[in-house]
Amino acid sequence: MLNITIDDQHVPVPAGATILDAAEQLGIEIPTLCFLRGYEPSTSCLVCVVRNRQTGQYVPACATRVVDGMQIDNATAEVSAMRRTALELLLSDHVGDCLAPCYFACPAHMDIPLMLRQIGQHQIRDAIATIKQDIALPAVLGRVCPKPCEKGCRRNAADDPVAVCELKRYVADADLASDDPYRPACRPDTGKRIAIVGAGPTGLAAAYYLRQRGHACTLIDQAPRAGGRLRREPGPDELPADVLDAEIDQILRLGVDTRWNTRLATQADLEQLAATSDAVLLACGVTDAAQIQAWGLPVARRGPEIDRNTYQTPRAGVFAAGNLVRGKALVVRSTADGKEVAQTIDQYVSGREVRGPARPFSSRIHKLTSEEIQEFVSGAGAACHTTPAPGTSYHGEDAADQSNRCLACGCVAHGSCKLERYAIMYQADASRFDGERRPYEVIGRAAAVLFEPGKCIKCELCVKIAAAAREPLGLTFVGRGFHVELQVPFGGALDQALTRVAAECVAACPTAALHFRDPHAGPHTQ
Amino acid sequence: MITTELDLSYVEQIVAQCGTGPDAVIPILQAVQHHYRYLPERVLQRICELTEITPAQITGVSTFYTHFRHQPLGRHIVHVCRGTACHVKGAELVQDAVALQLGLQPGEDTDARGEFTLQPVACLGCCTLAPVVQVDDTTHGRVTPRRIPELLAQALRTPAPRRARPLSPRADAAGAAGEIRIGLGSCCQAQGSGLVHDEILSVLQEAGVSAAVKRVGCIGMCHQTPLMQLVTPQGDSAFYAHVQPPDVRRIVLRHFRPRSLVRRVRYGLSQWLDRCYSDETTDAAETLGLNLRDPPVCAFLGPQKHIATECCGDLDPLDLDEYLRHDGFAALRRCVQELTPPQIVDEVARSGLRGRGGGGFPTHRKWHMALEAPGNTKYVICNGDEGDPGAFMDRMLLESFPYRIIEGIAIAAHTIGAREAIFYIRAEYPLAVARIREAIERCERHGLIGREMLGSDLHLQLRIMEGAGAFICGEETALIQSLEGHRGTPTLRPPYPVEHGLWGYPTLINNVETLACLPWIFRHGGDAFARLGTGTSKGTKVFALAGKVQRGGLIEVPMGVTIRQIVEDIGGGVLPGRTFKAVQVGGPSGGCVPAALAETPVDYEALVAVGAIMGSGGLVVLDNTDCMVDIARYFLRFTQDQSCGKCTFCRIGTKRMLEIMDRICTGQGRSGDLEELEQLGRSVVAGSICGLGKTAPNPVLSTLRYFREEYEAHLRGTCPAHKCTALIRYQINRDCIGCTLCAQHCPVNAIPMTPYQVHRVDLELCTRCDTCRQVCPTHAVDIVS
Repeated sequence: MLNITIDDQHVPVPAGATILDAAEQLGIEIPTLCFLRGYEPSTSCLVCVVRNRQTGQYVPACATRVVDGMQIDNATAEVSAMRRTALELLLSDHVGDCLAPCYFACPAHMDIPLMLRQIGQHQIRDAIATIKQDIALPAVLGRVCPKPCEKGCRRNAADDPVAVCELKRYVADADLASDDPYRPACRPDTGKRIAIVGAGPTGLAAAYYLRQRGHACTLIDQAPRAGGRLRREPGPDELPADVLDAEIDQILRLGVDTRWNTRLATQADLEQLAATSDAVLLACGVTDAAQIQAWGLPVARRGPEIDRNTYQTPRAGVFAAGNLVRGKALVVRSTADGKEVAQTIDQYVSGREVRGPARPFSSRIHKLTSEEIQEFVSGAGAACHTTPAPGTSYHGEDAADQSNRCLACGCVAHGSCKLERYAIMYQADASRFDGERRPYEVIGRAAAVLFEPGKCIKCELCVKIAAAAREPLGLTFVGRGFHVELQVPFGGALDQALTRVAAECVAACPTAALHFRDPHAGPHTQ
Repeated sequence: MITTELDLSYVEQIVAQCGTGPDAVIPILQAVQHHYRYLPERVLQRICELTEITPAQITGVSTFYTHFRHQPLGRHIVHVCRGTACHVKGAELVQDAVALQLGLQPGEDTDARGEFTLQPVACLGCCTLAPVVQVDDTTHGRVTPRRIPELLAQALRTPAPRRARPLSPRADAAGAAGEIRIGLGSCCQAQGSGLVHDEILSVLQEAGVSAAVKRVGCIGMCHQTPLMQLVTPQGDSAFYAHVQPPDVRRIVLRHFRPRSLVRRVRYGLSQWLDRCYSDETTDAAETLGLNLRDPPVCAFLGPQKHIATECCGDLDPLDLDEYLRHDGFAALRRCVQELTPPQIVDEVARSGLRGRGGGGFPTHRKWHMALEAPGNTKYVICNGDEGDPGAFMDRMLLESFPYRIIEGIAIAAHTIGAREAIFYIRAEYPLAVARIREAIERCERHGLIGREMLGSDLHLQLRIMEGAGAFICGEETALIQSLEGHRGTPTLRPPYPVEHGLWGYPTLINNVETLACLPWIFRHGGDAFARLGTGTSKGTKVFALAGKVQRGGLIEVPMGVTIRQIVEDIGGGVLPGRTFKAVQVGGPSGGCVPAALAETPVDYEALVAVGAIMGSGGLVVLDNTDCMVDIARYFLRFTQDQSCGKCTFCRIGTKRMLEIMDRICTGQGRSGDLEELEQLGRSVVAGSICGLGKTAPNPVLSTLRYFREEYEAHLRGTCPAHKCTALIRYQINRDCIGCTLCAQHCPVNAIPMTPYQVHRVDLELCTRCDTCRQVCPTHAVDIVS
């Protein structure tokens, strides 16, 4: 047996074992992208580097054999920095969006592609659940939102954007009109009490998400009912009162206490509220500096001074969000603030570190060429953009056709991609290195297995799997250096190359470079 | 387009010759390409049908090595040398001019009519003639962009490219009085020594002079070639430099008298007539004569010590008898007949010899490991895949001293018990391959190697593997991959080749120069070798001295001499009016030693301490007109281009570094770029798995260390050396006499023709090719940054 210590933990291993084997025995996770048990290590990705304490050298854990007495650093800042750099280099040559551009265009970061896929499959109940994950007032926003998501839609560059906002309204209206509108599950009561001053879009959204986390909420407003600026700003043609009332009801019925006709005027009022609650959220819309000073809060350019990540004011336990701190923002921004501040308050009252909402990681393609847009369009539904006439709504088939116009810009492997997973784990910055990038292409649209060369990280696993299975044509790297590419010899197609081991190759691919045409159907239905 | 039916029968013939195993793929592809001038896909498919080679293997391999082409070649080939010396003298502008003339779009190498293929080459080895362009078989030196149209037109007038011209048979030396020696290394040949050789033969025949003509290997004075040495019957010796065919007759007749009176009179008369009709008032022999006691020649030769290049300029590379007369194979005989393998290793240990390929690993330790490695099957490989731009020491040794290298490899093979030894030689070195091949055959015929070597019961089989255009194959694990018929991608070490090498057997890989030192060590003893040099660096080192130095060439110096001695004493310093700025040592893996540190000795550890490396021996002198950022970018571009593409840090890291360098050189640098270069550079060094990646950032890191202010100037938009084309402008000053020469020569018509007026450069059109400045008779063209 040979002795090795990893991060000062000692383990004996048999001769021939690698550092990765030893780490596995110790239950230490070392990230790998290009390694697969049963195949010779490629030593290509170098994400598994560890540092040999005796020599000071960085070595790949997957292929470095243990020498007796070896001391390895794995969880140090230096090793993490090397792994991060390796990931950042791979991401700089990775042409793909983990998350679609509409995700970032929408201030509420709704999973629009998922909603569209669900509408396309007539799964309206699933679609409303998807929407309400991020948007508390979809029927309202379906009417008043200026649709930043559609401006960010890639399809804009080809013809017209997907009618995201209309489709969302279609789903929300259908839900409200149903016998049993969607009602999210609320966690058991935590015993924490949150006072929310202002029952406009921010306060309503915050109450909706805080209730789901099991906290008791009291909505306080100087008006006699909820709605805030939603009752003042849009005209009745734009937002009928019954729609607004119906959607507010969906929030209040989660068990939100209300105190109407109540104004928070002085510092004493605020202190009293704070004394009887675990947290106070100020979400009462645009407010003058004198009032903020009267509350005893420091004044910033707009509203009270806050931490922009966490919405915390300098007064512990007091948060501020929405137009109070933004001046004049879109309604969708206000509802997004409500969702985000709910996350922060949840962190605060649960005694966790208050970090604000998690910023999602995503590799991004940024600007596309017209050829690349066409590449996206060729994989999507061909219907033209239509919107229902004023006062009417989509029918099921229209809605499905319109939804199927989605280019599905996001990645099929989002959530299961190893590159994405480690990028998040090591806090890689996908935009640290800019420079030449290869074009976005999808090869083999007509076949069962699709290849996206831009997402390939040259791990060589599919090449090895195909060679080991003696595929007659197989796969190979072509060229060398930065421009090395995976190809089928003699210009063959992927399904000619992978006649036996397509499923193994797709499963082994650490990104979505190789995937099945219908990722949601699974390999067996191919 | 005419499609012709491919004749596939040749494929069967080739397969029958090269074999059907996966390891035959590179020789098969080489033969196929030689025959068809490219690799037609039908032929590749046919190879897969006939052999064990798979479609994936043949596709992967044939696209990895740059020698293999998948498109037909043009009728003429234009090689533009991109070696370091050529780079600093404007090779990029020359290459741009060729591309412009041929109308090539980015990514194209052959013109639309299929006449010309443009192929940049790492180094043609004519550094003293830089910049160099080879059109078919003709080498042109000191090329400027404006000569390109003429050179291409000249090639079109030549009906078909000539094949490599075979050398005329050697003159019979029987009854000869005296000897004429002519250097016939690649660089001498590139400068016309082959024609001089032929002229000597015909002059001797016509004049009836009896003298032996001997082709000798490189003497190292590349700045003087073609170099001719005459040894008279009386034993006097005279050197002539820069000899051209028309000079030969006078030089020969000056030292040798025709045998018959009639001929003597006839020749005297014709010489007299020639003088009457020619403008030249001086005798060629006078102008070209080189006195070995001249101070510059003494300075060049004086500090040198010839071990690997022993007898340089005296030996006919392929004359085995002559090699034997110079104690050839005495070292091998001693090893085989007097010493045990451990004693041999001890002798190498006493010599202190370290690997000359760049790494500097102690040779005896490698040998010891190979000797101790278990098993009966072992291999020795001579690593002749030299590829650093501007370094051609190994080529010179292989061409000039093939028997010495064979003796060295035979000693190594005998010591570790290998029965097969392989020369892995770059395909760009056809003369080296031909000479080694010929030398092996002659050695085998003489029983010096082969079965029952030197009358013992030892067997040694020698063979040659030609590389196919991949710098990375100089890395020993990549070299093994290549020998086994794979893409030349390195594998993680350990295991080292001495434990697990070719086909999994213990394999000893030594560089050409390392092997070339062995015969001397065994004839003079390891201690004698160790008496030369410094504490940890023993013996001598061969360098290719080039760049902005007055006397460039191949030199062999004892370890421990200083950079200053090499540059100023041997090289004669920089041109008058220029200042010595730095020396780039070790090529793309090395770094720059600034003039302030010129007292640094040639010593493995001392060079590393200043941020350079010994490397394989490229030594480029830079003066105040050289931009250090541009130099660093040049080397980084080379390694980035040669990266195998396997590991992340090298494949993408060097690319991102190069992009930052490109940005800086084009005035688009951003704040933070220098810090990112350093940070990323250190990550690439630490994270890459092979020597190429681990050293690729060195040129950048070392110039950032010593010349950071030049980088900062580029960030501010100026290139202090006026070299980076994006940061300079051409302006015509008041000294312009309106002669229109600049306007006539401008390849892009950026200067309107305005006779008798001061001309103007249209900066939008100007490509910064420098032609106007070169043709201006009144120095009226300025470069401003």
